[in-house]
Amino acid sequence: MRKLLFALVATIFSFSAMAGGHAEWWKNAGAPYAGTTLQGIAENTPPGQFAGDVLAKEFEALTGIKVRLENTSWDQMYDKAIKDMEANSGIYDFVYIEQDIVYDYLNRDFLVNITEGLANNPDLQAPGVSLDDFTTFIDYFKDGSGDVFGVPMEAFIKVYLYRKDLFGRADAKAQFRAQYGYGLTPATSFDQWRDNAEFFTHFCAEQGMECWGTTVQGHTGHPASTYEFLESIAPSFGLYNWGVNMDSYQSCVENGGQLNGGRAKAALNFWTQLLPFAPPEALQSTWSEVGSSFAAGRAAQGWVYGENAAWIATDAEKSAVVGKVGVMLPPTAPGVMTQAASGNGYIGYFDGGAYGIPHSSKNIEATMLWLQFVAMNDHQADWAIAGGRITHKDTYADPKVMAVDEQADGYFSLMRDTGFLYAGAPPFPFHGAGRGAIDPFIYSALAGEMTPEEALDGACQALDQVMADLGYQD
Amino acid sequence: MFSNNKKGWLLLSPTIFILIIVGLVPFFYVLYVGFFKWNPLAVDPSMQFEGFGFNYRRLIFDGVFLESIWRSIKFSVVTLTLELSLGFLLALSLLSSFPFKKFFRGVHTLPLVIAPIVVGSIFKLFTVQGLGPLPHLLKDYFGYTLNYGMNADQAFWMIVIMDIWHWTPFVTLTLLAGLSALPQDPYESAKIDGANNFQIFVYITIPMMVPVLIVVIFIRLMDSLKIVDEVWMLTGGGPGYATRFTGIHIWKEVFEKRYYGLGSAMSILYLYITIVICWILYSVMVSRGKSED
Repeated sequence: MRKLLFALVATIFSFSAMAGGHAEWWKNAGAPYAGTTLQGIAENTPPGQFAGDVLAKEFEALTGIKVRLENTSWDQMYDKAIKDMEANSGIYDFVYIEQDIVYDYLNRDFLVNITEGLANNPDLQAPGVSLDDFTTFIDYFKDGSGDVFGVPMEAFIKVYLYRKDLFGRADAKAQFRAQYGYGLTPATSFDQWRDNAEFFTHFCAEQGMECWGTTVQGHTGHPASTYEFLESIAPSFGLYNWGVNMDSYQSCVENGGQLNGGRAKAALNFWTQLLPFAPPEALQSTWSEVGSSFAAGRAAQGWVYGENAAWIATDAEKSAVVGKVGVMLPPTAPGVMTQAASGNGYIGYFDGGAYGIPHSSKNIEATMLWLQFVAMNDHQADWAIAGGRITHKDTYADPKVMAVDEQADGYFSLMRDTGFLYAGAPPFPFHGAGRGAIDPFIYSALAGEMTPEEALDGACQALDQVMADLGYQD
Repeated sequence: MFSNNKKGWLLLSPTIFILIIVGLVPFFYVLYVGFFKWNPLAVDPSMQFEGFGFNYRRLIFDGVFLESIWRSIKFSVVTLTLELSLGFLLALSLLSSFPFKKFFRGVHTLPLVIAPIVVGSIFKLFTVQGLGPLPHLLKDYFGYTLNYGMNADQAFWMIVIMDIWHWTPFVTLTLLAGLSALPQDPYESAKIDGANNFQIFVYITIPMMVPVLIVVIFIRLMDSLKIVDEVWMLTGGGPGYATRFTGIHIWKEVFEKRYYGLGSAMSILYLYITIVICWILYSVMVSRGKSED
C-alpha cells in the first residue's frame, strides 16, 4: 500500500514537474479531447524516436490524448504525408516538415497557421509555453508576416567528426609526417582532408583495423548523396543555393548560374576522389548509415549530421567510439568563412524540422495542444541529449546538456557559437523536382560513369529544364 | 437475356461495383490527367490543357523514359527466359521421387510468400558492401569485388538474380501442376515408337504444356515489366540510371518531381506498350500452337 501511494505521489509529482507546474491546466485543456488519437508521421531519427517513445507517452498521461507517431524512412515519410495532404484525406494530424520542404508546403497551402490558431483559441494557449523560447531556427517555419506554421522539434548542424584516438597515436603522427612532410591533425583544408583520408586507409589496413580514412554519404540510388554534395561539400567550396542564380533561376554557367562552374567542379572532384578512402559501404550509405559507420569505428573523419553526433560521442550501447570523438567545423575554401560570417554565404547545412498541422487534420485543436507540449522547455534537455538537437535558446545552458557537451567535445557549444555560419536550404518551392533532376548525375559521378565535369554539365541542364518547365525562368 | 439472369447480375453487382471503383475510375482519371500539363510545384500549379498530344509528344523524345522502357523489356526477357528454364527443370525434377523431396519443395516455395519489399531488404542485407556476407565471401574466395553501388552491370544482374530467386518457385509450381495433369497415353505411344527423352520433351511435353506456358509467361511478363519494390529497396534505381526501370522512373517523376500530367501519360503509354507486347506474344504462341496441331 505504501509502495502504491509512493508511486502515485511520484507520478503526480513527475507529471506536474514535466508540465511546468501546470498539470491541472493540461488536464483540463485535454479533457474535451480525451480518448482522441492523434496520428503523426516523421522520419525515423533519434529526435523522432524520443518524441514517439517518451513525449507521446507523457502527453497521453497528462491529457488523455493519445499520440501515435509513425517514424518511418525519409522517402516514405514524404510520400505518405504529401499524398495525405494532397488528397485532403486527414489521416495525419501532424506531419514532419523538414526545413528544405517548408517552402513547398507553404506554397501549396498545406499547413495550418499555428500563430493564428492559438490567437483565435485563447483557451488552447498553454501557460509557460512561448514560441519566443525557440532559437532563430523557428524563422524558417514562418511566413512573410511572421506567423508560425511549424513547431521546431529538431535543429542541428553537419559537423566534421574525427577520431581523437587515431589522430593522437604517436606511431600515426610519425608515419604521417614522414610520408607527407607535415603534422597529422584534423583537417582544416581540403588537401589535408584528402591526405588524412589516404593515410588512415593505409594505416588502418597495416594495423589490421577495420577502418578507413573518411566517410562519404554516397548512396548511388538515394538523394542523400545529392544532399551531401549540395548542402555540405558545395557550400564549403563557396557554391551556394545549388549554384542557382536567384534572380533568373538559371543554374548553368553560360546562363548566369554556377552549378557547373569552377567551384562546383572542384567540390565534386574533391568529394568523388575521397571514395577510395571511404568504407566500402559508402556507395550504399545515406545519413543513417554514415552515422552507424562512424559509430562502429569504421572511419577516421567525416561529415556527420549533428543528430548523430551526440549519441556517437556518448552512448556506449550504440557506439564503439565513445570518448574518442572530436568535433570541429569542416574545412572551407578561402573566402567562404568570411562570406558566411557576413551573411553572404554559408559553410554547410543547418538541418532540422518541425511538426506542422495539415489543414486536412480532423483534430486540429488537440494537435495544437500536442505541439505546445512539444515546445515546452521542460523536456528540451533530455531531448537534446537523446537526439543531438537543440531548438530552444535556454537548452544550451542546461547542466545536463553541458555535461554531454563536454563528453561530445563541445558539439553543442559549437552549434551555439557557429550556427550562424550555417544555413537552411534555399527557398525553392520546386525543391523536390529540382533535386530529383540533379540526382542521377550525382549518382553517375559517384559510380564513375561520368566525370564530375560531365555530371555537373548534365545536372545544370536538367535543373534548368525543370525550372523552365515549372515557369520560374522568364 | 438480362432479365433471365437478374439473380446472377445481382450477385455480380458488388464485384462489378468494386471493379469500377478501383479499376476503371482510376484508369480514366489517369487518362484524363495525362492530357494536362500539371505540376503543383510550378509557378502556376493548376492543370493546364495544352492539347491531347502535349505530354505524349514530349515522351517520344524523352531519352530517359525510352531508355527505362528498353531496360524494363531487357530485364523481362532475361528473367523470363531464366525463370522458365529453371522452373521447367525444377518442375520436371519434382515429378520424380528423390530423398527429402517434400522438404525441398517446401523450402523452394518459401520465397513466394515473402513480400517484395522484404525480398529487397534481405538481398540488401546479404549483399551490401562492408557489412553483407556475400561481398566478403566473393572477395575472400574468388577475388571478385561485388559493389553494385558502383557497378551498373552488377546492379542490373543483382536485380535479375533477386527476381529469379523470388519468382522461380511460382513458375515451378504452376508448371508442376500442368505436368502432373498431362495425359500419359501420348508418352506411352512415343516410347513404343522408340522416341528418346529429349524427343518426348520437345515433341510431346512442350506442345501439351503450351496453354500452361502461356499463362505463366503472361503473369510473369506483366509482373516483371512493372517491377518496383525490390529494386527500390536494393538500389533505389541506381547507380545512375542503371536500374531505373519504368515503374521506378514513373514513381520518381510523379512523387519526387511532381510531374502529375507527364507521369500519368507515362503510365498510360507504358500500359499500352505492355498490352501490345502481350498481344504480340499471345498471337505468336497461339499461331505456333495451331501450326503444330
